[in-house]
Amino acid sequence: MLLNPITYHAPKTIPEAAQLQAALEDARILAGGTFLLNNLKQLKKKGLKTPKNIVSLKNIPELRGISANENQLTIKSMTVINDIFNSPLLKDNFSVLKTVCRNISTNPIRNMATLGGNLTSRYTWTELGAVLIALEANMHFIGAAGQETVVSVEDFFKNNARSPGILTHVAIKRTKNQTFAYQRVRKMSYVDVPLLAICLRTTFQGDRFSDTRVAVNNCVNFARRDSTLEEFLNKSLSKNGVAEESLHHLDMALYDTRADEYKKAVFRVHLREAVKELITRKGKQHGNLHHQ
Amino acid sequence: MATFTINKRKYEVDLKGHETLLELLRDKLGLTGTKTSCQESECGACTVNIDKKAILSCITLAADMDGKEITTIEGLADEEDLHPVQQAFLDHGAAQCGFCIPGMIMSCKALLDANKEPTQEELEYALDGNICRCTGYLKIFEAVRGAGQVMKERDHVVKFADDLVKKQNVGGHSHLAGKQA
Repeated sequence: MLLNPITYHAPKTIPEAAQLQAALEDARILAGGTFLLNNLKQLKKKGLKTPKNIVSLKNIPELRGISANENQLTIKSMTVINDIFNSPLLKDNFSVLKTVCRNISTNPIRNMATLGGNLTSRYTWTELGAVLIALEANMHFIGAAGQETVVSVEDFFKNNARSPGILTHVAIKRTKNQTFAYQRVRKMSYVDVPLLAICLRTTFQGDRFSDTRVAVNNCVNFARRDSTLEEFLNKSLSKNGVAEESLHHLDMALYDTRADEYKKAVFRVHLREAVKELITRKGKQHGNLHHQ
Repeated sequence: MATFTINKRKYEVDLKGHETLLELLRDKLGLTGTKTSCQESECGACTVNIDKKAILSCITLAADMDGKEITTIEGLADEEDLHPVQQAFLDHGAAQCGFCIPGMIMSCKALLDANKEPTQEELEYALDGNICRCTGYLKIFEAVRGAGQVMKERDHVVKFADDLVKKQNVGGHSHLAGKQA
């Protein structure tokens, strides 16, 4: 057997799942399984301790789906990446999600991996953290006593991605005048090993950047903002040379990862391209670009 | 006890809870067409179809599939003929060692069920989870395009036949249904 013996639980409602999570000793939540099952196999191979219980969310239909109104997009936590990518609701500021989802791993993984697993798995290389920070998204949790906790994605990752219950959905406010750029660096193309993902957002006021967010996934730490670059861009005009100049205004700790010096130089190229992309996209929506 | 429909046949299986779908298929049910390879969700050799989507059985818990309909490579052909994707792989010489092929075919089928005329980019995107060490992929792409054409033509024929039956049932065309009473 590839996995160690484990007790499988399949709650049918969100409260039942939250109560099981709180009550069971040594339990892990199973969403799409793309992280958890590989992790369990690795732990077994190395002779390390594996959890005693698995709580699967697969049988809770209330945790699936995407909806939108004039103010907000709501994505339920068990929605798979390809369903997010294929959703016709990703318009306005939500359209950047299409580009991000397009670049996650491979097709069968995208058919299985969920929004909730991507955010709450506590792996630092997961994709959706940066873009949801740029979108100022909020995460909604239900605890064992039925209490709802709402936390911004930014604060969630500042708190080391600790979940205060079962993630039910992510909510994103709709805005119309924001411009986004997304750049992604990966180690190799045939098996997806991400190294860096950057999502930039700004609201152009004429030629001026404003209300800029720069969210960075460096795959070593949890996603967070580069406030140094944000501050620089918010004081800058979108003119020639600003992209190159921005490389001198970075929170360098974010980019000082375990990558070799060549890869760190590649990061700088992508950072520059991200700023250029932001300027080029002024007034346009994101599509479904595939980054190499 | 869990119930699965696999290749249109119902199975009731007593699961331990920690078997993967791949282990269930190969070790318990003898459906060895789905291959064990990397076991780390990177190669695609274990691909099956669930709800017409390509899914990796090596990272799927069998218990999670209780009540689901699963199609494996063994379920594609009908009693007399290979599925168009399988036939196309033969006709175009798209297999060499053959080990990746069941998973590759299942991903191709999932693609063509949704889109019978994929662009090259859509093709590569849909198959990006299936690694082939032998072929260089070109013959595989040709096979997928060929299978798509066959499936599209079959859809036309089926639709034509359905329309014909509908017309006959409502008696709308006397030269087909005979004179009305």
